[in-house]
Amino acid sequence: MRRFYVVLLLVAVAVAPVLAGGQRQAQPRAAFDIDANTTLVIWADEQRAPILEDLGAQFTARYGVPVTVQQMGFGDIRDNIKVAGPAGEGADIIIGAHDWLGELVASGIVAPIEIGNRVNDFTDSSIAAFTYDGELFGVPYAVENVAFFFNPDLVPTVPRDWAEVRTVSDRLRAAGQARYGFIRQEGDPYHFFPIQTAFGGYVFAENPDGTYNPNDVGIDNAGSIQSARWLQEMVTSGKIPGGLDWDTYHNLFETGQAAMIITGPWALDRLNASGVNYEIAPIPGGGRPFLGVQGFMVSAFSDNVPLATAFLTEFVATADTMFTLYERGGRPPALLAALDRVQDPALVAFGDAGRDGLPMPAIPEMSAVWSAWGDAVTLIMQEQATGEAAFTNAASQIRSTIAGN
Amino acid sequence: MKRSTGSKAPLGQATTGANRSRGTEVPEPDRPVQHKFFGDSLARVSVRLVLVAAVAAFGILFMWTLIANGRYPLAVLVFLVTAGVCVSFTVERLYPFRWFSPGLALMAIMLLYPTAYTMYVAFTNYGDGHLLTRVQVIDQLERQTYRPEDGRQFTWTAFRSERGEFVLWLQSDAGSFLAEPGEPFIPADRLPNWVGPLDTDGIPTEIRGYTRLNRTEVLRFLTQISALEFGELPETVRVQSLDLVEERRQRFVFDPANDTMTDQRDGTVYRPVTGTFTAEDGTTLRPGFWVTIGPRNFQRLFTSPALSGPFIRVFVWTFVFAFFSVLLTFTVGLFFALVFDHPKLPAKRLIRSLLLVPYALPAFISVNIWRGMFSRHFGLISTTLEAIFGWSPLWLANPVWARVGILITQTWLGFPYMMLICTGALQSLPNDIFEAATIDGAGALRKFWNLTLPLLMVAVGPLLIASFAFNFNNFTVIDIYAEGGPPMAGTTTPAGHTDILITYIFRLAFAGGRGADFGYASAITMVIFLILAIITALQFRYTRVWEEISENV
Amino acid sequence: MAASTVFNRHRQTFDIAGRLLIAAVALVFALTPVLLIVSASLDPRNNIVTQSIIPPGASLKNYQALFASNIHPYGIWFWNTLKISVISSVLTVLICSISAYAFSRFRFKGRRGLLLSVFLIQVFPNSLTMVATFLLIQAIGLFLPSFGLNSHGGLILIYLGGAMGINTWLMKGYFDSVPRSLDESARIDGASNWQIYWRVILPVVRPILTVVALISFIAAYSDFLIPQIVLQDTRQFTIAVGLTLFVRAGEYSRNWGIFAAGALIGAVPVVTLYLFLQKFLVRGLTSGAVKG
Repeated sequence: MRRFYVVLLLVAVAVAPVLAGGQRQAQPRAAFDIDANTTLVIWADEQRAPILEDLGAQFTARYGVPVTVQQMGFGDIRDNIKVAGPAGEGADIIIGAHDWLGELVASGIVAPIEIGNRVNDFTDSSIAAFTYDGELFGVPYAVENVAFFFNPDLVPTVPRDWAEVRTVSDRLRAAGQARYGFIRQEGDPYHFFPIQTAFGGYVFAENPDGTYNPNDVGIDNAGSIQSARWLQEMVTSGKIPGGLDWDTYHNLFETGQAAMIITGPWALDRLNASGVNYEIAPIPGGGRPFLGVQGFMVSAFSDNVPLATAFLTEFVATADTMFTLYERGGRPPALLAALDRVQDPALVAFGDAGRDGLPMPAIPEMSAVWSAWGDAVTLIMQEQATGEAAFTNAASQIRSTIAGN
Repeated sequence: MKRSTGSKAPLGQATTGANRSRGTEVPEPDRPVQHKFFGDSLARVSVRLVLVAAVAAFGILFMWTLIANGRYPLAVLVFLVTAGVCVSFTVERLYPFRWFSPGLALMAIMLLYPTAYTMYVAFTNYGDGHLLTRVQVIDQLERQTYRPEDGRQFTWTAFRSERGEFVLWLQSDAGSFLAEPGEPFIPADRLPNWVGPLDTDGIPTEIRGYTRLNRTEVLRFLTQISALEFGELPETVRVQSLDLVEERRQRFVFDPANDTMTDQRDGTVYRPVTGTFTAEDGTTLRPGFWVTIGPRNFQRLFTSPALSGPFIRVFVWTFVFAFFSVLLTFTVGLFFALVFDHPKLPAKRLIRSLLLVPYALPAFISVNIWRGMFSRHFGLISTTLEAIFGWSPLWLANPVWARVGILITQTWLGFPYMMLICTGALQSLPNDIFEAATIDGAGALRKFWNLTLPLLMVAVGPLLIASFAFNFNNFTVIDIYAEGGPPMAGTTTPAGHTDILITYIFRLAFAGGRGADFGYASAITMVIFLILAIITALQFRYTRVWEEISENV
Repeated sequence: MAASTVFNRHRQTFDIAGRLLIAAVALVFALTPVLLIVSASLDPRNNIVTQSIIPPGASLKNYQALFASNIHPYGIWFWNTLKISVISSVLTVLICSISAYAFSRFRFKGRRGLLLSVFLIQVFPNSLTMVATFLLIQAIGLFLPSFGLNSHGGLILIYLGGAMGINTWLMKGYFDSVPRSLDESARIDGASNWQIYWRVILPVVRPILTVVALISFIAAYSDFLIPQIVLQDTRQFTIAVGLTLFVRAGEYSRNWGIFAAGALIGAVPVVTLYLFLQKFLVRGLTSGAVKG
């Protein structure tokens, strides 16, 4: 009797695929009903999603192509598209930063796009940032960089260089005008980079064609070391207090306890809300901040690359849309027609500060830099290492990591 | 102790009597004999038969769908699980497994499969630059086109027929043409009579049977149009964008026989080398695909500079962190559970519920709040200590205090869980022992050490091991707290004083020179799993003891 | 005799006072950070570091923002979360108690091995299983779309996959402490294994069922890693994954205020549930629990 079950089971196993197979004939795709299934899926973060949802609704109304906007954290977009894209579940269009290009292009996740003459409608630097190996991989929409903020009640004129920042800090503290002169967050190499470049430092050397050379690491060149020494002096003399984080140093500036900081457009809202008197200037000493460009990329796994591209060029890359995105995000637009409409003097000042900015390296080797470099800056600020030792060691860590691959 | 005589002995007799001998050392206290029809009543057998058939049918349909979609490993697993469930419900000897089948089936598919997959990935180069399969990469490369040197470029206007056919009107400096798929271009001066005269823009006013699509309308059909080749081979053109039609040639052609990829432009031949098409001079094509690379990830790990340098310090701290996380959360949790387990305590339920709040809030915000409390200038803890003692440790910059701080945070996060479990487990302790012990004149402390704790361990012991294992890999808390910081000075690889094994080595795997390397990270995970599994298995020798304790109570 | 009673009564008063004192200290430890989260939720400046109990310009703006927008439908997230957590919690208790009963009451070859394996598999670090989980759920969706990507069913399946393991151990330990004389007397009355499990054992082990129910409820409730892999549409989100939208917009634009507000409201059901469930958390081990 027991055998009866086993036999039954085996028969079922043998027969079922045949039965199931009979019903599951692959349906040949009819040649001309593609647009019935055509949809565009966009991945965007919480800030941008609402605007794109409105645009999507307009697009659908006009062309009958449904547009779905799915929200996720900005950084999660990059992680998720790497998994979902190849599995055929990803978005057609994603919002992202240009420095993701290295890994996304190397992995075949995003598709090159063709926007013809429209490239002339954007700032050169933003198009350059989204160009990888000679091909365009995205429609840029915003450029961001940090700038030098000072409180004119405490610092009447912009310091010319970082030595002057030091003397001004000393003077303010000696006169009891402010608790601190220039302050900064512990760690955070991104905000330190403009100081480093003001002294002649760099991360990766630039090739003549504007790309970066991963074999020439400049974290320990003379200029970088000099900037590290400058930082060390500022910290050991007590001019820059240790242990500040992002919120705290902004707070000190907003309450007039500190006179100078480096920060980006993302801080404008809170600075304005605090009512502090501030002005924005280019980085003293000719420091060059990193330029980050955000934009829209098209998935290589989209069935509708031309349509997705057309959505971007016809619908998103318009002065009105870009201006709306700017109003919500507070970053200078990359589209010239929208940039022309920006009246806000703060953003104009950011534009000036970023004029000589360096695009954030998009090469995959950059991922080896952040943690070693950030640790070095932290060690100096925690007085655990001299400027020279910290940066020299960081450079050797970075070189060995890059060589190890 | 009273119960041991009251229950265990008769139970033993009952089982031996009722049990069919099966040659196992342990007598089975179940299933009184009930052979009627194959061990059961006809009705129950029929119900079971229907159930088994339903499970089998479900499993097989599922398996077939998976096979149809090329998911073979999963299909095999589904088959095994289905077969296992069906067999356990038909073979009498496997009776106990019927009780496990829902849990085990779900575990095998939802937990075992991802785990096994991750182990498999450890033997591949899956990661940035190698995320796609070979088929996907060949497909992507074969879809790449290039414009030949004399390739023509046009602006275009589309016309669409009722039946959904398209013709393009192409314009360039070299003249205008009418283009249809598969037909030679027709120059503007030789247009057939079904094409009307040109308008001021040089576009036909009318093509009979076709409607002109303006720039807005054409978007709707763009995906279809751009899939078509217009003109006669080999000189076809394709829509590249709304503004451009171009003559394109396929750039790469794959030769399956020789397993090579050839660049049509210059004839360069690329051969796959560990997941990358590579030419003889070393130039490579992107993207790469993932391939199995044997134990290379493990070799890389064991020769990595990460294993010299700060590794030992990180390793020791990992143990310290995991051990003290368990010890502190358990001690505090158990203490609260005992203290608030008093029948006459007012507001007992409210107190317990409020103590659960740390558990109910996302760690993402509470760890950040704790870090804020430790922050030097505004932090509540720092400023309070400063106000009282005139001194406060550097909670985030000092290596020792940073570790203390993270353990305090851990304790706060984890004690409610332990409290909850201990409160439940304490209910299993029989009152009568305590009464007996009290009569014997045992002090509260002795009762705790000799009775409460050992008995509690029966239920809670494995949980502590699990908690140790979890904290051994508690990536989230370490990462949110200070990303492993404060950093160690002068190390060969970046490392922090609060880094545990998994944060330390993952940073290397995800911040290497090529971005995220999942294969390498999986290899690391496997090694850590092996270490943990050994520790766990060793600790489990105690559970046998615990089990015996419980059976002797 | 009378003196001793008075003494005992005093002792009890002291005892309770002592316990209340400990409760006060415990609550300060447990709730101070929570208070700061409350303050962050009232702070219009999205600040979690300034650490003043009543922030300047305190307002309910963040709470209003939480419910005001269709873009992040908190109400729907709340409902989704409750649904998923309740279902997976109930099913977890069911699956685990069945297994725990068998582990506790049956003796068979491979029992210890199975117990150990069930445990060991859960020790595997799960930081990397995201990719595989995604592909698995996608594959399930090919067959049963309501358990595939972007479905709550798929999410629940994943939680149930992890249901055994620790919970089974916890329950088995408790089941072991239930005297087998209960089973035997029921068996003599002609009860089957299932009836013993359902009618005799389950009522007695209520405290541990409650604990496991609560643990698995909270686990599903607060998880944000797996929903992020499985769920795609904002309207399908759970609270935990929905809230991350506010703090993952970018490194420098974290919307802590709304996050804090959403986290606090999200904690209310958990705490309420525990408050309510505590009545099941009392010693159930009495002979009165044995019923036919």
